[in-house]
Amino acid sequence: MGLFDAIDISGSGLSAERLRMDVTAENLANAQTTRGPNGGPYQRKEVVLQTAQPNGFGTQLASAMGQVPGAGAAQAPGGVQAAQIVTDTSAPKQVYDPGHPDANAQGYVLMPNVNPVTEMVDLIASSRSYEANVTAMQTAKSMFSKTFDLLR
Amino acid sequence: MTLIDNTQLALERAISGASMRQSVIANNLANAETPGFRRMDVDFHDTLAQAMQSADSATIEATSFTPTQGSTSMRADGNGVDVDTESATMAKNGLEYEALVSVAKARIQIFQSAMGVG
Repeated sequence: MGLFDAIDISGSGLSAERLRMDVTAENLANAQTTRGPNGGPYQRKEVVLQTAQPNGFGTQLASAMGQVPGAGAAQAPGGVQAAQIVTDTSAPKQVYDPGHPDANAQGYVLMPNVNPVTEMVDLIASSRSYEANVTAMQTAKSMFSKTFDLLR
Repeated sequence: MTLIDNTQLALERAISGASMRQSVIANNLANAETPGFRRMDVDFHDTLAQAMQSADSATIEATSFTPTQGSTSMRADGNGVDVDTESATMAKNGLEYEALVSVAKARIQIFQSAMGVG
């Protein structure tokens, strides 16, 4: 386990949460989009997170030098990563609006399956997680700078 | 008494353990939204206390720590991380780390004074 692992791990959390925020922002921005990429209304997207394997410089160096990982290495912390961005295939909302250019013969428009309340809650959750990761990074930073004081 | 005594070795191992614990807690926080993730922790106090009972410097110096995985989950997605608990543990661990480093530094300064280089 290297010196800066904690900072790398928090960094992986930051980029994962930022991606979640990006996707939530896209959902909110497209909440009224009736012409999505596949012709129909926009479908909301969601990020799937998974635990990442340690892949930092220290891990790479150890494997290049032929070192066998010690006991417990399988569960050594490696942070988090986005596995994929999935599309929510739930049914679109039907809104009666005969004047809309995309209305069908009965006067209904298919609107995206985006619920602004869900998106706002997701946004708050990822924002709080982001802050937690920033705090973890700051703690690691102050710990390491304390260690460098040993050399003075 | 040797120059680097058991206390100094134990301090060094404890600093290493607290550093590892910081990584593990950072990992817990990074995975706070990962479905099925179980929190991990490093109980370096117990491991080190057992090694110190031997009073053998080689044993203390060779103490290694292994992360343990929790088994509980309070959420429907199987995630076992409570962000508040993790934040509190991390703050505690950070303070402990700084205390350990301060003591180690004070002891090194004593050596330096005795050697006439401080």
